[in-house]
Amino acid sequence: MADTVNETLVPRLDRRGFLKGCTMAAAALGLSETMVPKLVEAATTAQRPPVVWLHFQECTGCTESLLRASHPDLGRLLLDIISLDYHETVMAAAGHQAEKVLHDTIEKYNGKFVLIVEGAIPTKDNGIYCKIAGKTAMAILAEVAPKAAAVIAIGTCATFGGVQAAAPNPTGSVGVQSLVKGPVVNISGCPPNPIALLGTILHFLTFNRLPALDKLGRPLFAYGRRNHDHCERRPHFDEGRFVEQFGDEFHKQAYCLYKVGCKGPETFANCSAVRFNDVDVWPVSVGHGCIGCTEPNFWDTMTPFYERLPNVKIPGSGIIADADSVGKKVLGITAAAVGIHAAVGIGKRLIKGKEDDK
Amino acid sequence: MTYEKKKCWSILLRLYHWGLALSIVFLVTTGIYINGPWSNTMQLGTGLFPMAWMRYTHFVAGYVFTAAVLIRVFLYIFGNAQERITDCLPITGRNIQNLGKTLLQYSYISDAHDERLGHNVLAGLTYLITILAAIFQLASGFFMLFPESATWQGLGVSIFGNQQEARFIHHLLMWWFIIFAVIHVYLVIWNDLTGPEGLVSSIFTGVKFKHKKA
Repeated sequence: MADTVNETLVPRLDRRGFLKGCTMAAAALGLSETMVPKLVEAATTAQRPPVVWLHFQECTGCTESLLRASHPDLGRLLLDIISLDYHETVMAAAGHQAEKVLHDTIEKYNGKFVLIVEGAIPTKDNGIYCKIAGKTAMAILAEVAPKAAAVIAIGTCATFGGVQAAAPNPTGSVGVQSLVKGPVVNISGCPPNPIALLGTILHFLTFNRLPALDKLGRPLFAYGRRNHDHCERRPHFDEGRFVEQFGDEFHKQAYCLYKVGCKGPETFANCSAVRFNDVDVWPVSVGHGCIGCTEPNFWDTMTPFYERLPNVKIPGSGIIADADSVGKKVLGITAAAVGIHAAVGIGKRLIKGKEDDK
Repeated sequence: MTYEKKKCWSILLRLYHWGLALSIVFLVTTGIYINGPWSNTMQLGTGLFPMAWMRYTHFVAGYVFTAAVLIRVFLYIFGNAQERITDCLPITGRNIQNLGKTLLQYSYISDAHDERLGHNVLAGLTYLITILAAIFQLASGFFMLFPESATWQGLGVSIFGNQQEARFIHHLLMWWFIIFAVIHVYLVIWNDLTGPEGLVSSIFTGVKFKHKKA
């Protein structure tokens, strides 16, 4: 019997898996198959580009998502293609040793290493709300970022501030692009698809430049379209078949989740096309609407997650209601005012008598 | 007392008015459906495509609306004396006086009717606000209609932040158009009853009635 247990534990990437990984990345980038050898070449160059991975205000979910990637087994591919010199979650070193690695890497590969940032950076009170090795996140970023060849922000926290920056943003958190001069590639999402990160890194290695970005700094190959436009439930949307509430008959029929608050029509991402975890799933395929996690300020603007639109906050009154009930009330008041105005006019005419036409 | 006919609204303004009015009726109806589709086809294979049709109608009406708004903006600058933006703003003594008189008349405090050929300034200001709201409707609408266009994305992101915010503003502004329509239709009929101009027919004929000066 084949020794499958030990085989899967061998910490080496076989050639087949490696080529599959490169082909997958080429497909995600929208490159032709003739580019695959170039990608392979770039990925197998003797000098693996050093990567520094900084963690700030985050949950490590983006790293978790990366570890769960397969086809390619992204954890191994990352270790084989790039030299991940500093990554607090997976590195063996700790304490002063770890700090020395970071310091040595940015000095030795000044202007050559790739910086990946995970997590938002608090700026309030000089950034004291996130400290590593006695230094604030702001100071670490200011020290490392200018020396990097490319800066990649991974996850919605690092790109747009994420949940930390949600109102009232108590620590004054911001994304990397607010603090770093020069281009930042935003791989947004909570968590983002690992394919987007891998594609960006391979694009950089192959062409020595960053992929084309949209107006929010997100690579177009992954964030150029809305989830809605590639959604497998889109035909149900067009034909007007909707889930009315979770668990109903239409939900069991896998109809469109629009009416239970799916934000796919507002969200730029490739989840519906690329999907996650090598088992072809994403939220909508398992019956939950998209929550719009790749968009700026999604915690503030995409909530309530199970309603189509945000609620209206009427200033000074503490009233929070949905837009249509506010609209209907204002319309009712308007109609009443019109009625009263007309009645006053008629009353006045009755009292004063109709004046002769001049 | 005798009246004379006076040319007031150009054909372009009347076309703008009815283009805008009709497109708003279609946009609001289809827009309410798109936001909260009240029907549910439920069965497969009916071939009805209600959401697709509603969206298609919404987009066609949207282009009519766009054309109407562009015409109005053009007329604000190049229109006749009644159509220009300077006639709608309380920037001259005559206009400020008209605004005050109109408010007094509308609140039944005074019976004096300030006769002038164009809009009264209160109406002119309200229409100007409506056109500004329409411009935001267009910006948010095209931002949502062309998700893959870098130009619209750049504009939309800088004004609204993201598509969901644009949709929210788009929806809230819809209520302005509904409420505006109610007040507008009421006040036009009210003016037609109380004033001599023949306001309702003027938007069909372009002609208003004025007291003939001896």
